[in-house]
Amino acid sequence: MALVEVSGLEFSYPGAAHPALEDVSLRLEPGEVVALLGPSGSGKSTLLRALSGLVPHFHGGRFAGSVVVAGVDTRRSRPAALAGTTAAVFQDPEDQVVMALVRNEVAFGLENLGVPSQEIWPRTEEALEAVGALHLAERRTAELSGGELQRVCLASALALRPQLLLLDEPTSQLDPEAAERFLALVGELGGTTVLSEQRTGRALALADRVLFVEGGRILADAVRDDGLAWLAEHRARYLPPDAEAPGGSPAGEAVARLDGVRFAYRGGPEFLGGASLEVRRGEVLALEGPNGSGKTTLAKIAAGLLQPDSGTVWRAGRAGYLSQDPGRYLVRESVLDEVALGVGDDRARAVRALERVGLAWAAKRHPRDLSSGERERLGLAAVAVAEPDLLVLDEPTRGIDPDRKAEIGEWLAEYAAAGRGVLVATHDRTFPVHRRVSLGREALLAA
Amino acid sequence: MRLGSGRRAVRLAPVPAAALLAAAAVAALLMDHVLPLALLTAALLLLCLQAQTRLRPYLFGTGTAALGLFIVWPFLQSTGIDVIWEGPIVPVLGQLDVTREEIVLAAVSALRLAAVGFAFSAYALLLDHDRLVASASFARRSALAVALATRLVPTLERDAAGLAEAVRGRGVEVAGVRGHARLLSPLVAGSLERAANLAEAMEARGFGSGAPSRAPSPGWTFADYAALAAGAALIGAAVLWL
Repeated sequence: MALVEVSGLEFSYPGAAHPALEDVSLRLEPGEVVALLGPSGSGKSTLLRALSGLVPHFHGGRFAGSVVVAGVDTRRSRPAALAGTTAAVFQDPEDQVVMALVRNEVAFGLENLGVPSQEIWPRTEEALEAVGALHLAERRTAELSGGELQRVCLASALALRPQLLLLDEPTSQLDPEAAERFLALVGELGGTTVLSEQRTGRALALADRVLFVEGGRILADAVRDDGLAWLAEHRARYLPPDAEAPGGSPAGEAVARLDGVRFAYRGGPEFLGGASLEVRRGEVLALEGPNGSGKTTLAKIAAGLLQPDSGTVWRAGRAGYLSQDPGRYLVRESVLDEVALGVGDDRARAVRALERVGLAWAAKRHPRDLSSGERERLGLAAVAVAEPDLLVLDEPTRGIDPDRKAEIGEWLAEYAAAGRGVLVATHDRTFPVHRRVSLGREALLAA
Repeated sequence: MRLGSGRRAVRLAPVPAAALLAAAAVAALLMDHVLPLALLTAALLLLCLQAQTRLRPYLFGTGTAALGLFIVWPFLQSTGIDVIWEGPIVPVLGQLDVTREEIVLAAVSALRLAAVGFAFSAYALLLDHDRLVASASFARRSALAVALATRLVPTLERDAAGLAEAVRGRGVEVAGVRGHARLLSPLVAGSLERAANLAEAMEARGFGSGAPSRAPSPGWTFADYAALAAGAALIGAAVLWL
């Protein structure tokens, strides 16, 4: 008997013009690991929420068809009643954590389900051990790194001993090493798992089956090998890249130069110890380095948002800076106003910038009504509208689907080709750039 | 909260630990003598030093505030006859003399401040607040809401800094009360979004599904009762003798 049976599912969010899911039917057998792929806003998250009952109960909207999980019709049971049968891990670990201590966090779900008291701590420890996080049990959740926190979220889900584990881009906020470790862990767990993921390489390696969703419809539903063949024919960008993107730097005069830059955050030890860097006009330069090496700090110094303690920073013209997760930092009431902010409310320029990122259609919408991928593009338009000589981007490809990543790469190459410089702090070696420099732990940079 | 280290360490349940720290703070405010105050402050500092992380801002904040008070206090007072240093006459303030009595009073005030600061630091750094809140056997949901609101304060601070930085990254300066006030609405919108995400995650983890159970807490030990008694004794001694 199938663990999950979805029949003719159609769902629209309240007030939405188009359905988020259309004519979705599928069966999941016990023990299957499914890679759920598709572009941002294609309906992957909505499908996962439908499987956990959050759609329609939590979000409202129009729902047709049926979703039956372990014999329970989700229309007739609240998500909280399905908890334990299903468990979910969402994108941003910070938005899922309830308690201050790790062991209390993992115990939270067990307490909600009314698990007998004497079973709670043993199951908590068992779940933490399964994800290799038992040593974190007494730590405060506020002190954990993103990777550690996401492990704790996975342990919280596993502690419920769910029949169906739903993972919604659980690595989108993690660096490649942490993401790799997290996905390797998922592979070792066993059980029925649906994994929505933009890091397709590892997800495809883990999966028994591939589902590709686009425009709210399932375009492909096949066992792994057939799924890979379908991707190769129809959506080749979703296959893992063979090698890092080619380089080759066009010659140009410097647009920014940092020399011997040292920096320490207030009250902390020296964080950058003499970093040097040159960005030239016409190039997209990648700034690489492990977590905590100071990439973001150096990027902010290059953009003029932080002042170094010593060393020199020279820039020709203006700089613009796009932070990590820009979708969180939107400040105005409409998409057009958001972009116009950077050019003294010049709406004509703002419209042109929106057209360049394919968001002209959304000009009158509220920025927070956009999908996460659309918000990323809006953030890019809001910074680039002023056409700064130096454009600095911090991890612009994190959580971005392969098609969108390719678009951003092309867009940045065009931006640089117009005689400007682009500095990208990134872990992503498949992102197309002209030149790469590495920031090591000693904060000494070879430009 | 753990007192001491190694095998001899004593673990206190959250409620007696919070009561002991509160008693220490109250006793510090009641004490008038430098030596017992200094001993109490040193004991609280040692307790704080058990924290593995986040210690620095608490120590820095408490230490600088107490030191600042110690330095400024003698100049704001005009008591005592045993003059140590004779300063100039300053309009409004009068003569800036420093007497031995003023130094003692300054030390008492600074130590009181330091003791209260370290007691609060130990509360913030060492206590299991989840279980402290859970100890309220009534209004579990309200207690959880309070705990969540407290936990979200640092997130709010980070989001506010991120918003200001995002605007500056577009070449727009955020200056003055009006400039910062403009970020208030997106900050509230962002926190509502976070709250909605959190509510969704809580529902997915069965929050509100029925009768919850509670992870067992170890029963109170002799040390827990001793901590309560020690707190009461500390306050009593401070009132009567110190």
